[in-house]
Amino acid sequence: MADLKYDIYLVGVGGQGVLTIGELITGEAIRRGIPANFYPTKGMAQRGGFVKAQLRLGRGEVGPDIPEQGADLVISMERSESLKAVRYVKPGGSFIIYDHVWAPTAVMLGKAPYPTLEQVGDEIEKAGASVYYIDPKNLPHYNGQLVPDNIFMLGVTMGQTTLKNILDSGDMMKAIETRWKRSAERNLFAFSAGLTAGVGCSCPPVARERGQGDK
Amino acid sequence: MTIKNITGNEAIALGALRAGVKVVTGYPGTPSSEVIGSLLRQGELEGTRVEWSTNEKVALEVAAGVAWAGHRALCTMKMSGLNVAYDSLISIAYSGCEGALVVYVADDPGVSAGMPEQDTRGFALMSDMPMLEPASVAEAYAMTKYAFELSEAIKSPVFIRSVTNVALSYAAVDVEERTMPPIREPRLPRDINKYTKAGAAICMNQHRELIARLEQAEQHIRARGWNRLHLADKNGGLGIVAVGVAASFLEEGFDLVAPYGFNRQEVSILRPAATVPFPGEEVRALLNHCRTVLVLEELEPHLEKGVYVEALRSGAQVRIVGKLDNTFSRIGNYNAGHVAKGLIKALDLKAPADLLAGRNAEQYAAARPITTCAGCPHRGTFMAINAAFRKLRLKKEEVIVTGDIGCTILGMNPPFQTVSTEVAMGASIGLAHGFAYSDVKTPVIATIGDSTFFHAGIPGLINAVYHQAPLTLIIMDNGWTAMTGMQVNPGTATEFQQPGRRRLDLVHLIPGLGVNQFFLIDPFRLEESTETIRRALTLPGVKVILSRRECNIQAARRGVRHGRITTVPEKCNLCKLCITITGCPAISLGKESIVIDQAQCNGCNLCGQVCNHEAIKWEAVV
Repeated sequence: MADLKYDIYLVGVGGQGVLTIGELITGEAIRRGIPANFYPTKGMAQRGGFVKAQLRLGRGEVGPDIPEQGADLVISMERSESLKAVRYVKPGGSFIIYDHVWAPTAVMLGKAPYPTLEQVGDEIEKAGASVYYIDPKNLPHYNGQLVPDNIFMLGVTMGQTTLKNILDSGDMMKAIETRWKRSAERNLFAFSAGLTAGVGCSCPPVARERGQGDK
Repeated sequence: MTIKNITGNEAIALGALRAGVKVVTGYPGTPSSEVIGSLLRQGELEGTRVEWSTNEKVALEVAAGVAWAGHRALCTMKMSGLNVAYDSLISIAYSGCEGALVVYVADDPGVSAGMPEQDTRGFALMSDMPMLEPASVAEAYAMTKYAFELSEAIKSPVFIRSVTNVALSYAAVDVEERTMPPIREPRLPRDINKYTKAGAAICMNQHRELIARLEQAEQHIRARGWNRLHLADKNGGLGIVAVGVAASFLEEGFDLVAPYGFNRQEVSILRPAATVPFPGEEVRALLNHCRTVLVLEELEPHLEKGVYVEALRSGAQVRIVGKLDNTFSRIGNYNAGHVAKGLIKALDLKAPADLLAGRNAEQYAAARPITTCAGCPHRGTFMAINAAFRKLRLKKEEVIVTGDIGCTILGMNPPFQTVSTEVAMGASIGLAHGFAYSDVKTPVIATIGDSTFFHAGIPGLINAVYHQAPLTLIIMDNGWTAMTGMQVNPGTATEFQQPGRRRLDLVHLIPGLGVNQFFLIDPFRLEESTETIRRALTLPGVKVILSRRECNIQAARRGVRHGRITTVPEKCNLCKLCITITGCPAISLGKESIVIDQAQCNGCNLCGQVCNHEAIKWEAVV
């Protein structure tokens, strides 16, 4: 574990629980004695504003910001915001996208452009990263309600990416149980569904086929 | 000792508690707010008083009084707040202090929160005050404890300067138990030569003593080992001077250039605790040892200029790489890429040109202008101002509405585009006063929030009343200091105040300032608000409109809902008026009608009041 250096860049929109993903990973890393610096940036808006977070694991002393082409893993919770992380992904790194579309008002009114999935997939591929694509339509239900997508995506990340070499899914489930005592079952279901969900829909060609159907 | 996962700001708070701080004051401002925020969350702290003061200048004066009485005090603010406090601060620095006075200020290189990208080290230079610059969360904790020790040792106020990414980062820190504030008899200063400024002799003596105290600080910092200097075995190589957060990127920067012939063993490194006082002795040692010096500091080249001066004074033949040779910009914050870039330049390493450049894809991302939250009362005020203009047959472009700091500035963005200036706390009123003097033919309006009005708006209003400047001031009172994360202010309802605080109600305060045309509106009642604003705009002299409703984020946390909004799809003709006028994030466009997100909607019914097809229905909730 001594030589482990692993940087995670998270992006999304306020209200999606992006920072919760970062907090859970940070908590688990620290519990395992891995040095961690977690730097969330919320911007000014409560909901609907750009949110990012930078998580740096494994260096004794480390600055809060990930350099360009420095992130081993990008987790994006929103299609358009994915583009803001492309600069930071390491060639050969992993880029995991939950293809949620959170349209700003101007886009909703047809007055401003919004990127297609194909465009986003292309940019990531040109940056030299592997794409892991999750369609929000695949988000499962628990007791008739959609599960929390951030916890589902944490599961997908733990199942699919190199993060599984650093942290343990079983420990993460314990952390989820501790954090949400009352809704533990629902969150554990979301995490477990994510763990096994990504398989089979995790490469750019799939993403590109789906890119035709811009929501 | 306990390992805790804390932010840089919490580290400052816990460091101060460990140092036995008796009083903590401040005014909220991103990214500094969570020092006091985290202390207040601990509940009543035996022996230590914590307060949100009305502004930074007052906060500093309170803290200075405590330090003059011989105790330990901490005062916190963002960089813009230091501008407000500086008038008092420079005089306090001239006098020095008896106990300890630590001033925490957080800069924002890279501008994550808005406001000028100022480097407050310039203020340390001007006031000859030591300014410690922690590189990390752990160092923020250690340096805060030391700042109290240093302040008491040199009997002068000391700055701790953080930057956004250190202040807001979480890291594991070994934290000690708090120390109770030492019991000391309060001292009442009677030494007018030290504590007043009346006369040239007094001021110049104080200036002399101030400079002497800064020199003492330099010695103290050196003696405690805070300026870390490592000289490589061989001389004639590269020396690096890195201060503050820039130093935290060193090791990673070394890794980035390791494949291109970089040898870490041949590098000398100086990591000073501060730019002010200048680490002269260590810089001279580095200059004597190295042929090239790389200076790493964010924003202004304060440290680098000092290195040039020392090089000239000592006759060292060195090449200096930094901002003054245009290697680095004075704009933005650093990361390991900057370290690598400096090393490539200083050592002429053959690294690929695209080593540090990621792909620019953000140019294709959708713009996401920030807007008011669903259920925000400010929405109603902006809508009413715009509607009043229409009633007066004025185009928005023909009217000046000055804006102010905080959530109320969101009126600058679509769909409102009501507000068009932002300067500093309280500045909306003075600016409007200036426009009122400028032969503007249309009504002049200033907008400001409640906390901003208490902070620095009151003198502007008194000036307008005094000179009878024809303007309309709209105070948008949501009861909280909202933009910075929901702090209390003097106008917050008593039930949410710390015990023993007394609320000052703006309804009573404003007439007391001499305002005799004073109106109260409810921003959720669009027609009445519009009519009141319209009428006020036609009256001469100073008019003040208090637009009052609690911030919806806070109200929603207590389960407050003003009603239930539903759509009548068969009546909705998708005219989108509700979206284009309110811009409410709870409304989206469905296939046959607009859709309300019940999770966000608080039933304010502003959308219902603009719908002219009865397609939006409001009903009371029980």
